[in-house]
Amino acid sequence: MSETAVGHQQELRHDAHGGPPPVRGWRHLIAPGFVRALWMAPLFFGIGAGIVVLARLWGGWHPYWNWWIVITVGALTAAPIGFLAGIGNFDYWVRYAIGSPTRPEDHSGHGAYSWRDYFRVNTDHKVIGMQYLVTTIFFLLAGGMLAMLVRAELAKPGMQFFDNQTYNGLFSVHASLMIFLFVIPAFAGLANFAVPLMLGAPDMAFPRLNALSFWLLPIAGTMMLASFLCPGGPFANGWTNYAPLSTHQPLGTVFFSMAVQWAGASSIMTALNFLVTIITMRAPGLTFWRLPLLVWANFTTSLLVVIATPFIAGSQFFVMFDRIMHTHFFDPSQGGYVLGYQHIFWFYSHPAVYIMMLPGFGIASEVISVFSRKPIFGYRLMAVSLMAILVLGFSVWAHHMFVSGMAPWLRVPMMITTLLIAVPTGVKVFSWLATIWEGKLHLRTPMLWALGFVSMFLIGGLSGVMLGAVPIDIHVSDTYFIVAHIHYVLFGGSLFTIFAGIYYWFPKMTGRMYNEKLGKLHFWLTFVGFNATFFPMHWLGTDGMARRYSDYEPKYAALNMFISIASFGLGASTIVFLYNMITSLRSGPPAPGNPWRALTLEWQVTSPPPIFNFDEIPQVVGGPYEYGVPGARHAVLNGDRAAVAEGEEVRVH
Amino acid sequence: MRRGSILQLVVIGVIAGAIAGAVAYFVPWLPKPATLEAERIDWVFWFVTIICIVIFALVSAVIVYSVIKFRVPPDDDTDGPPIHGHTGLEILWTAVPALLVTAIGVFSAIVLAKNDNLGKHPLHIDVIAQQFAWSFKYPESNGLASTELRLPVHRSVQLRIRALDVLHSFWVPQFGQKQDAVPGQVTTLHITPTRVGRFPIKCTELCGLGHAFMRATAIVMPAAEYDAWASKQGQAQSTGGADAGKAIFDSNGCAACHTLKGPERPAKVGPDLDRLPAFAKGPGQTLDAFIRESIVKPDAYVEKGYPPNVMPKTFGSSLSSKQLDALVKYLVASTRGGGA
Repeated sequence: MSETAVGHQQELRHDAHGGPPPVRGWRHLIAPGFVRALWMAPLFFGIGAGIVVLARLWGGWHPYWNWWIVITVGALTAAPIGFLAGIGNFDYWVRYAIGSPTRPEDHSGHGAYSWRDYFRVNTDHKVIGMQYLVTTIFFLLAGGMLAMLVRAELAKPGMQFFDNQTYNGLFSVHASLMIFLFVIPAFAGLANFAVPLMLGAPDMAFPRLNALSFWLLPIAGTMMLASFLCPGGPFANGWTNYAPLSTHQPLGTVFFSMAVQWAGASSIMTALNFLVTIITMRAPGLTFWRLPLLVWANFTTSLLVVIATPFIAGSQFFVMFDRIMHTHFFDPSQGGYVLGYQHIFWFYSHPAVYIMMLPGFGIASEVISVFSRKPIFGYRLMAVSLMAILVLGFSVWAHHMFVSGMAPWLRVPMMITTLLIAVPTGVKVFSWLATIWEGKLHLRTPMLWALGFVSMFLIGGLSGVMLGAVPIDIHVSDTYFIVAHIHYVLFGGSLFTIFAGIYYWFPKMTGRMYNEKLGKLHFWLTFVGFNATFFPMHWLGTDGMARRYSDYEPKYAALNMFISIASFGLGASTIVFLYNMITSLRSGPPAPGNPWRALTLEWQVTSPPPIFNFDEIPQVVGGPYEYGVPGARHAVLNGDRAAVAEGEEVRVH
Repeated sequence: MRRGSILQLVVIGVIAGAIAGAVAYFVPWLPKPATLEAERIDWVFWFVTIICIVIFALVSAVIVYSVIKFRVPPDDDTDGPPIHGHTGLEILWTAVPALLVTAIGVFSAIVLAKNDNLGKHPLHIDVIAQQFAWSFKYPESNGLASTELRLPVHRSVQLRIRALDVLHSFWVPQFGQKQDAVPGQVTTLHITPTRVGRFPIKCTELCGLGHAFMRATAIVMPAAEYDAWASKQGQAQSTGGADAGKAIFDSNGCAACHTLKGPERPAKVGPDLDRLPAFAKGPGQTLDAFIRESIVKPDAYVEKGYPPNVMPKTFGSSLSSKQLDALVKYLVASTRGGGA
């Protein structure tokens, strides 16, 4: 044989990723895909409904057919499993379990060759990353539309367009979609794409698990939106779903509780995948102290997810048990404990705030260092402060409960830990400032978003310190001050960094450049619209406007009209983003491998990257941000290795 | 750093600080306080705000200065100086914020302790929250009840808050203090009103579809007027008579959700009670029986266009049979005349 080993290997790969053999005729019914999902989902619904009916027959409970329970068990629990099985998420594992020969690439080939491949179960982390981002942007638009409806209702005092229950549903679904189906999974999507590349790895540690985590998201999102079709309307208890209101509300509430289970399961699986990938699949030489900060950020985020997410799952199970199994977790007349819900819920949902922020810190660090052409200032302290936030983040949950009626002694300790979190967060902000200081700033679109993030997150952080002080919190709890604060941290913080990340990696993901002018226009429209929308809300709150009110006193009319108009402008700025993404994807100029002259590994391969990322495993020889250090390199790849072996001087940090 | 650039940085910082300071000073951020507690909360608010303005000015000065000074043309391929860190600076910006938040924490803890201090002879008032109405009971005035909260000025008051169904929260913006009402638990709130006036009470914990309309009024009165009101009202409620039904209607918060007698305060959460005779034709009951059933078992018949499970099911047990009779009599009498 004349083939070299390398050539042979590459050919094998090409055979492997040719995708599954074409499916024809009736075989569509049993081949993995949407056709099979179309009959497996109803089949599983039937199984779920059957279990309910049999259990009720056996127990002698009337009526045997109870719609609430059938919907909960059949439609929201069993049918999604049928859907996942139908599109082929479990094929490999089932074959393995029953002893059939497994087909490593049977339905889940690497790479995507047409748009159809993005609608199949695919195990390529780059394809999954794109699937995540497109899906989450869809839910961003859906959640944004709901926010526009909320602002339309609030433009004038009195009731305009909706009744109270619908209004409560609008802001509840808005918040839930944005949190569980946009911010958290959008970060997971960006990291899914970038982290294996940054590690010098060919893929995530568990590619099939990765695919499964993605496919849970459309299920969760569809469930939340479908709650609008429920008799009694969508879930309308706020995204916090506090008991005992949630145990008494119409059926829609269960759609929230179950959607959170699916989204939460997705988060946990992804986080486990990241942890194992980061711990075991780093390229040779890539020690923890040489990891890019995005990887550090996702490492700490994944720890948060794995530890905290089971708590929200528990809180929602308790609510559902109270609703359909006649338990009394939150019914004080039967010995239940109402505040128990809030303690369990916030034990997840406060760390969730950091789950929604730390990956953004990582993105900001990447972008700011690259576009300042300087090393990250205080790299190790940046990583340590992430870990500090992780640890402190678990000790502050009750600061959401200062007025809840919990044990009064708990307030001062929780205030102290809350205020202390400002210290590592401040360290990060000051280090970013020191990084841009005396740098060579290139104000490209990602950099604008990153600097916008630092300034907006600063405001959100400062209002966070105000909220940490118990007396202030008592006054502004559950007012528009809170609404302003969370939007400064989750919009000005998370969404700004997600946009920074999308623009930053767009060339790498698509192989094309985005339109710089439109990108900058998008930033400035959003920046102005965002501040005009949310800054006045601080005032509304301190002056006395409560949140979650569909109607308010006439004295707030002028300011609310201003906010509503600004928010429509803010919403419209998204059109610029979508137009830019779609036109650039179709006809943007081809992207070079490393348009930003960045040092991290993902930029050392072609755009888009080869099918298994690196033709040869890179050798990491230094830190990831050695800009301005003469002759410094982060890694040596391929042909360079020979040069290194021959004694070319490489500075190692 | 050259002296000139330090000066420019300081100038930008002062401008940013001045803008933020002007926003803080000229916007009337907080309502005029009406309790001692709110005054103390305002002190913490401004203490923290000043610290925030200083930090905001510092950070925005560095960002603005850097964007102006360190920006390079797109074709500049050079890198910045390879500065990896500075231990002294890093210690400084860890230590200074730690000191600042410690100061905030100590100040807050002192104010919290002062605000919770009831003093020697606090007045106790019971607050009852239910979907979607407030009612108040005055145990020190012979079980007097009302739907607007009356308070004597300059007297330390402890509100004991109960919830009959789901979570609610008691807040008067001018009072500063806020407290959730929790089913199965009595929570407390301490206030010392400092000026006479009428203030809005708002529910600030999402409690269902009538949440935004769960409002009432707090009336702070001079001490002598308060005592006079308490004794006069107390007599009226205990003697009963012709007004007994109306007193029960008022003191149980019915009007929070239902309109009765014209548009004085249109409430839209529940059906309009002026049309009770028309509604009674739905299930085909006599007006008397229909009203009684609707109070005790609200979901037995629900008028079209209104969702079930909204009206509290607690009135059957919280009202005595005598009170129930009086209430039904009052509703029958007031709707038969002018109803549809």
